[in-house]
Amino acid sequence: MSALTFILKKPPQYTLDVSRLTPDYLEGKTLARIKKIRLRYGNQKIAAGELFTISGMETDNIIINHSTEKLIGVGHEMTHGRIEVKGDAGNFIGQKMQGGTITIRGNAGTWAASSMSNGYIEINGNVGDYLGAGLPGDPHGMSNGHVFVTGDAGDRVGDRMRRGIIIIRGKAGDYCGSRMAAGTIIVLDKAGKNAGFGMKRGTIVLAKKPKNIAASFKSCGNLKIQFLRLLFKQLIEMSKQYAFFKKYGPEAHRFAGDLASKGKGELLILQTIKTGS
Amino acid sequence: MRTALKINGVTIDKTFAEAFPMKATRIIITAMTLKWAYRAANSIRGFASSVIACGIEADIERELKPSETPDGRPGISVMFFAMSTKDLDTQVATRVGQSVMTTATTACYAGIDGEKTISLGKNLRYFGDGYQISKVINGNRYWRIPVMHGEFICQETTGVTGAIGGGNFLVLAKTARHGLAACEKAVDAIKSVPGVITAFPGGIVGSGSKVGSKYSFLSASTNEVYCPTLKGQVKSELTDEIGSVLEIVIDGLDEESICRAIRAGVLAACEFGPRKGIYRISAGNYGGHLGKYHFHLQDIVK
Repeated sequence: MSALTFILKKPPQYTLDVSRLTPDYLEGKTLARIKKIRLRYGNQKIAAGELFTISGMETDNIIINHSTEKLIGVGHEMTHGRIEVKGDAGNFIGQKMQGGTITIRGNAGTWAASSMSNGYIEINGNVGDYLGAGLPGDPHGMSNGHVFVTGDAGDRVGDRMRRGIIIIRGKAGDYCGSRMAAGTIIVLDKAGKNAGFGMKRGTIVLAKKPKNIAASFKSCGNLKIQFLRLLFKQLIEMSKQYAFFKKYGPEAHRFAGDLASKGKGELLILQTIKTGS
Repeated sequence: MRTALKINGVTIDKTFAEAFPMKATRIIITAMTLKWAYRAANSIRGFASSVIACGIEADIERELKPSETPDGRPGISVMFFAMSTKDLDTQVATRVGQSVMTTATTACYAGIDGEKTISLGKNLRYFGDGYQISKVINGNRYWRIPVMHGEFICQETTGVTGAIGGGNFLVLAKTARHGLAACEKAVDAIKSVPGVITAFPGGIVGSGSKVGSKYSFLSASTNEVYCPTLKGQVKSELTDEIGSVLEIVIDGLDEESICRAIRAGVLAACEFGPRKGIYRISAGNYGGHLGKYHFHLQDIVK
């Protein structure tokens, strides 16, 4: 059996909602039936067969080729299987995802992994704002699952996040981990302003010293954090691509906060920082 | 009853060891150094020789290399056996709290998967007095309890699996000194078998028991038919030359691992032979009515 492959015939002019192209929705459908699925394109609805050259059988293994940032809603509410996007993807990838794997071989837009509750998302590129956040009206952001971004992320990574792990190999924007209820965010390059703003619980691991640390975070000093040993070892065992964690030890500067909120969260900075006068 | 099977001149009785179903779990204790992991492991396996009065049987299974442990530090795996999941739950949780958490630099993780689980850090977390932190990594929940040495990390639960307890054999020797020398070697040999433990001190029982007693308040009492001092007084199982009997009790995760352990142990003890005071190998049973599992010595060592 071969992967169910959607090759975009030409770059779309308007946003194209591909949220129906998930293993869940396509399960049990024939190729002819799949070609007739109507997708929202701008203000109209167009059959998938008109936009994509479609081949393959495996609805559990979907590939979208020649993708651009106009394709939105990849893997919406999916519960199993895998979707691979070759090219960029637009906003709302993996929104409310409940299981399975999404791989983006390109950049992704805003609200990626928003309110996801399980599964794995890998973005081999940069990602926009509100990664793993919760849409206005949602009770919280990401509630479980695992996100890995090889490039940079925008602002408000993990806003109101509740559980799960987000790993950003590059930089993160401002307000990283803002209003977090719990969970873990790891940023391996620089983070912007006000990391952890309003966080209640949760862990933000920053490999480099951020631009500023809010006054409502208090230093707990340079320590060996036993938890980091466990976290890094588990991540290394989870996947080969996390082998780079081998260079990090348990030493970190711990800041507790946000004390203007519940104050049970922490910033762990994997660099020695001098504090005090 | 006895037909001749001899290994290196040592008679192997035509009898069987009788064993029962038990519940088992395994935990992994890590620490800054192996020495401190041992301190915690020795403490947690203390007073856990027999379910008769300890509620649980426990022993160190083996040392773990840093690459084998969840946090990359040296560790030790400890196995626990009890008659019910409930007994296991109370005993393991209490022991982790008092023995592992109190040992400097330790952490405690699950060492086995199972459909049923028992708590490890689930209730211990309250020691954190509100400063405890829950972390889920790869589907496992860990508790980070701030303590004076730094941070005590304890997985929330560990798995429970069906297991077998009470696999055994008896070493009938000229004197206790002869018996101990052989039994020590036998226990060493059993240690190399994965999935089994010998819970008694040093792996050897000096006072093997039978079920019941003449006293109504006692559930187990001395096995007089194997007591050398009572040879003339009771219907003894011992012949003139035998002056001491030692028992090795083996708990294991399945029948196969217990068979392998009995075989390894018996063969190691037989190497001593009659010239070094080892005359016979037998096994403890209750006529086959009590335990579900029968380990026939001659079949195992053949």
